[in-house]
Amino acid sequence: MNINWYYFASPTTFYRLAGRIAPWAFVLAVITGAAGLYLGLVVAPTDAQQGEVYRVIFIHVPAAWMSMFLYFVMACYGALSLTFNTRLGAMMARSLAPTGAMFTFVSLWTGSFWGRPTWGTYWVWDARLTSELVLLFLYFGFIALANAFEDPRRGDRASALLALIGLVNLPIIYFSVLWWNTLHQGSSVSLRGTSMHVTMLWGMLAMAFSFWMYSVGTAFTRVRAIILERERRTRWVRGLVAGAHS
Amino acid sequence: MSHAFYLWMSYGATAIVLVAEIVLLRMRRAHAMKLVEEEKDLEAQD
Repeated sequence: MNINWYYFASPTTFYRLAGRIAPWAFVLAVITGAAGLYLGLVVAPTDAQQGEVYRVIFIHVPAAWMSMFLYFVMACYGALSLTFNTRLGAMMARSLAPTGAMFTFVSLWTGSFWGRPTWGTYWVWDARLTSELVLLFLYFGFIALANAFEDPRRGDRASALLALIGLVNLPIIYFSVLWWNTLHQGSSVSLRGTSMHVTMLWGMLAMAFSFWMYSVGTAFTRVRAIILERERRTRWVRGLVAGAHS
Repeated sequence: MSHAFYLWMSYGATAIVLVAEIVLLRMRRAHAMKLVEEEKDLEAQD
């Protein structure tokens, strides 16, 4: 199958495509989210050591995965915009940042509410927690830098560069539990298998898929607003708004 | 503190930030539409 990527790189085309995909992404997010919550809160057995509080992992782990995955995708879009000077690449990077920051916050917040009853503290300056906090600051830095210039194209370039530099933090987060002696435990799920009960695993995977679809929905909805803001002087956007009111 | 407190604080805060993001997105979309309208009005005046 031959896909014309340049066709989809046009804001005009992508605006319509994102408008079609976003509602379905939200619907999938709600369905899989409900399934994940049911599996995680009702079906999954109580943990023998941690009791009921382990159920925080059904949002903590998927949120942590999404925080890193969205940063990676955001940096890829940043690289695309820097290399090929694509407008849409920069717009997509901007649209992913707030959702990525939100999931990083959720990961840190839920982690601390799991840590208190399990470790006896809300926070510890452990390598995994600290590098995840650095990720949150990278997202904040990206958003601040992108909006710091009057000319949005300059903001796009500066923030894309920051996103690329910040990529170095992702392997640090992932391997921190192996490289350093940390309080945070190692991965329970990997490509080689899992040490979890199968219901727990499916609950977590359903929640991860739900968060992924939510991210697609929010990123596509946000990029449509960004396209409208930036292309508001073009004829096609005016026609669009006139059509929406007629 | 019972385990329910930690679970509610985690799930509750997550629900709040997810809903807040959706509300902010809707506000941003409405603001973008307003900007386009204003641009159109300005041009019509010229």
